[in-house]
Amino acid sequence: MGKIGRVDVLRAPPGTRAALLGNEAIARGVIESGISVVTGYPGTPSSEVIMTLHAYRAHELGIYVEWAVNERVAFEIAYGASIGGARSMVTMKAPGANVAADPIVSAAYGGVEGGLVIYIADDPGPHTTQTEQDTRWFARMAGLPMISPVDPDEARKFVRAAIELSEALKLPVILRSTTRVSHTVGDVVFGEAVEPVRYRGFKKDVKRFVRAGMSWNRERHAWLLGQLRKAEELAVEKGLVSSEGSGDYCVVCEGVACGHLREALKSLGESVADRVKVARLGMVHPIPREWVRRELGGCRKVLVLEELSPYLEISLKAVLHSTDTEVMGMEEGLIPSVGELSPAHVAAALNSVLGRSGGSVEAEAQDKAPPRPPPLCPGCPHRNSFIALRFGLAKAGYSPTKVPVFGDIGCYALGVSPPLEAIWTEHSMGASISMAAGLKIGGFEGPVVAVIGDSTFYHAGLQSLIEAVHKRVDLLVMILDNDIIAMTGHQSTPAWARTETGREARPVRIEEVVKAIGVEHVYVVDPYDIDKAIEVVKEAVKKPGVKVVIMKHPCALWEARVKGVKAVYRVVPEKCTSCMACVRVTGCPALYVAEDGKVRIMEEDCTGCGLCARYCPYDAIIRVERG
Amino acid sequence: MAQKVLNILIASVGGQGGLTLSRVIAAAAVAEGLRVRTGETLGMAQRFGSVMSFVRVGEEVTSPLFGHGEADVFIGMELIEALRRIPYVRKGGVAVVALTLKPPVSSSLGIAPRPSKEELVKELRRALPSIRFVDAVEEAKKIGNYRAANMVLLGYVNGLVGMLKDESVEAGISAILRPKAVETSIRAYYRGKELAKE
Repeated sequence: MGKIGRVDVLRAPPGTRAALLGNEAIARGVIESGISVVTGYPGTPSSEVIMTLHAYRAHELGIYVEWAVNERVAFEIAYGASIGGARSMVTMKAPGANVAADPIVSAAYGGVEGGLVIYIADDPGPHTTQTEQDTRWFARMAGLPMISPVDPDEARKFVRAAIELSEALKLPVILRSTTRVSHTVGDVVFGEAVEPVRYRGFKKDVKRFVRAGMSWNRERHAWLLGQLRKAEELAVEKGLVSSEGSGDYCVVCEGVACGHLREALKSLGESVADRVKVARLGMVHPIPREWVRRELGGCRKVLVLEELSPYLEISLKAVLHSTDTEVMGMEEGLIPSVGELSPAHVAAALNSVLGRSGGSVEAEAQDKAPPRPPPLCPGCPHRNSFIALRFGLAKAGYSPTKVPVFGDIGCYALGVSPPLEAIWTEHSMGASISMAAGLKIGGFEGPVVAVIGDSTFYHAGLQSLIEAVHKRVDLLVMILDNDIIAMTGHQSTPAWARTETGREARPVRIEEVVKAIGVEHVYVVDPYDIDKAIEVVKEAVKKPGVKVVIMKHPCALWEARVKGVKAVYRVVPEKCTSCMACVRVTGCPALYVAEDGKVRIMEEDCTGCGLCARYCPYDAIIRVERG
Repeated sequence: MAQKVLNILIASVGGQGGLTLSRVIAAAAVAEGLRVRTGETLGMAQRFGSVMSFVRVGEEVTSPLFGHGEADVFIGMELIEALRRIPYVRKGGVAVVALTLKPPVSSSLGIAPRPSKEELVKELRRALPSIRFVDAVEEAKKIGNYRAANMVLLGYVNGLVGMLKDESVEAGISAILRPKAVETSIRAYYRGKELAKE
């Protein structure tokens, strides 16, 4: 990500106007809230908060900002900082909240001293997430306050609001957004910066901080419920809920749906807008019940606009159950319960509630263009690793298409598409190894393979590997080590000797870790040496117990950026017989079929890995040095 | 610019600079004192996937999204992606598409159609007779920075529509692009503007 030129997001004075991504605005919010510790694990659409703090060197402003090995460790670091009085923030995507669930839920009983913001980005669509998880239920389950901004500028302000709320209630506060806030660029006006608030003291208080099944947990539960009642009052005092207009038709909105609503009301004209009262819930947990009864109790109908699940609708139905108000929304099919909301959906729902025509959204026209599922990049070493796996298994006497390959979360999951069609599952962080072990334990007799990336291995694969080793499961584990967290935009891993902030770090080496766990057969090979990698797979798969093959080559995009591309490959059309071997083996997106039916290479996309040339039976692909 | 909101849709292949283009337009709009919302889907489609950016500029904008038939301005950085997204253009909308073809892997494998440049141009013309094509990559290469094809397209579109002042675009470019790419990008923008007049 490039810097925003003349505007330094962290240092520009109050009043500066800039076009910022929601996540960049949140990074500015960190500066305006006195937060001194920021940690997290990358996950789209949440990663740019920490990436922005890195890009603008927040560490030079006295802020600790580093990625952690996974979300639960990240949260626990932020929590530890916070009970010592430091203001802290932890960032993650929605599934990361599941990983961090255990310590987050307990933190609701212990509470905080310094403000603690848990930034969680949901992904209606879903665009880049495994599920359409609605993290609002998580706030209710954990008993933590949650606020949800409508746009980038409000996201900036809500960081400050979350810190204030957190210190007033002594509870962690969840700042929840969605893709259309986190990854929307909006005009933002900067506020005042606040000095980072660091350690202010830590007193031993076992009733607060020891959760070992003690009777005092009941006292803390009662305390938490009291704090949540206070939160309902604070939501009103701090303007986190608001209403405008009047009428007996009411609309409740949250997040980006409020932006859609404003536009829909504009397009439907004054005759509609004048009949509608709009209530905005910036705080979605707890629901400020008294305010809701006061503002919405007199409405004939309440339309609730939200995404992912009818969380608000169900909550409002409960609060308003003894009134004559009819609450409706997703449960009644007025807005979609799958995918994201659009201004057209909102307009259609409004029309339907008001009894006007125009109550449906046309299905989008059929896509005439050939599909373009995201492929592995040109030169991606994972492509080589999957090819080595296929041919290695074949050379060992197995039918590669009959060997179950358990994938994991990361770029290599893109190997699911043709022609590689390399993985059978992709489930959750670290699950490749444990699910593969499960299949064996359940009675599967042939060889099984788990494929996991370096960062995912550190994140959650480590424990799975310990389990498999301990139970002596027959399993081939391929660790695709590209020395970076690639998919989320190139973040550091625990193998780095220096982090993004220049902090000197002790590299944790996968090979050493794997050996220390007790894996007897450990191989390290560069998958760019494809023939050697094939031999390694062939040998490894025959060994008993857990064997680990570390396929070690840097991410091709990163390597091209750091080292430059010194040579590319070119097809000699006279030699090309259109046999398509290069395309069918590699599926490299830099290859294409020209109008003469022969293959060509898009040289600006080629990184010079040479894999296509390796599989050309006619030597029709040649290496060309770049000037 | 008038009071209304301008809806801009950018269709591209990941890595072509479609997201950078949307950032430049957003920064230019803010430099002009306007409000802006973009809708991006970053992440999975970072490289070589299908990327679509919504950009909305005006005096009051609150939603980042719009639907089919609602784009006033359409910028296609690649022919197949342009065809995929062309239903977003409204009647009377302005569309400029680069004569760049990046077939997806599925086409090369023969499991999806493999339309030629000519077929795609024809199909796009049928969808929108007023559509304009420009060899943006070729023009950008002449300037010495093939990655500035996005700025050629921006210049071309702005030459037709006049949605942003030149100085705002220059401010947007220098706000978003790496310092060493600023000069060629600004030249690419003006080259695009010139081409629009031809």
